Amino acid sequence: MARVFYTIVLLLCGGSAFAGPKVHQKPSDFIRESLGEIPATRAINLSARQQGQVRAILGKNYKTRSVRYWTKGGKTAFILEEIGKTEYITTGIVVKGGRVETVKVLVYRESHGWEVARAAFTRQFRDVTLRADGQISKVPRNIAGATLSVRALTKLARLALFLEGQK
Amino acid sequence: MSDALPRRTKQRARRWHRYLGLLAAIPLLWFALSGVLLNHAQILGLNERMVTSPWILRYYNQLPEGSPHTLRVGDRHVTEWGGELFLDETALPLGGELLGAVSYQGQLVIATPERLGVFDGSAEMLLELDELSLPATPLQGVELFEGQLHLAAADQFYLLSEDFFSAEKSARSFVKTPTKELPPREKEALTRAVRSRRGMPLSRVILDAHSGRLFGWPGWLLSDLAALGLVILTLLGLRLYRKRRS
Repeated sequence: MARVFYTIVLLLCGGSAFAGPKVHQKPSDFIRESLGEIPATRAINLSARQQGQVRAILGKNYKTRSVRYWTKGGKTAFILEEIGKTEYITTGIVVKGGRVETVKVLVYRESHGWEVARAAFTRQFRDVTLRADGQISKVPRNIAGATLSVRALTKLARLALFLEGQK
Repeated sequence: MSDALPRRTKQRARRWHRYLGLLAAIPLLWFALSGVLLNHAQILGLNERMVTSPWILRYYNQLPEGSPHTLRVGDRHVTEWGGELFLDETALPLGGELLGAVSYQGQLVIATPERLGVFDGSAEMLLELDELSLPATPLQGVELFEGQLHLAAADQFYLLSEDFFSAEKSARSFVKTPTKELPPREKEALTRAVRSRRGMPLSRVILDAHSGRLFGWPGWLLSDLAALGLVILTLLGLRLYRKRRS
């Protein structure tokens, strides 16, 4: 009986752990870790044509018309956000020479699909490039129950590679 | 005598099976159909399709908590309601406590403790600045003075550059602009807009209708009764099947 009680308590506590936004890393810490410091902020002001290309990637306009980035030593870091199911997933992406170097989920706000924040998943984006048809060179494995989050991260990787070419 | 009792029982079971089956047929049909739809929500694009029908959205009562407070910028109202921000009746993709809102170079600049949002005349966000691009956080206020944008952040005052990406310390000091309660007429318009314009993903509506939660306690009671009916139907069916076999 006691075992059942503690199992239920544990399950309830486990559930509440995913109730709010989970900050895996502060965006400033991600930039500092990736580039060694926080360089001056720069931004790409998307023209109407570029917005059309972004729409082709995301299926809608990006959250903002100007997208910020930070660059140092040939690396470009983006902090991008895309909705998984109903909430924004804040993601840090570092691109170098047309290849993804790092993808990291910084803030996860959805109640389901947090598995995309695991390094085992995000590692799959390493060295991914953008093909001529706008798709990425290697599609990550799907995670059951986290399909929308997987798609959101895949779109953000495509977006980061596209944006690197637009600086 | 020994044969009559099982026959009567059998007849009663058959009658119950028939009437219960009839009663539960429509809810069960809905359970089955909605279950299949939910199982294939992604393929059918039910997560992307939004339900905007006011009579369905009123069941979701999405009004934020508390009362709306506003700042007037020209002839526009920037309103905070339960941590959500609105430009007149349109929701903004920026949230948090409303610290200030000013019109600057034809753009609308809105400050919350963690972010500074720059909007065009509509609700489209041009730029969002956070701790990475702001001189300090938390922000405490934003003000326009002699055509220049000033920020109060972490008990310091800054003059923001035209492109928003750099700042220098400023001698000017100011406090957070006090917000006012949204006038009744504007509040009514905003309430109407929030209730009706915020769509719900179709998959969510189907899920809530599947469980009955969409229609409050009568809904889930009906769902429970239908589910219970299915259990009884199964047991009665098994009983009848066993009797027929024997």
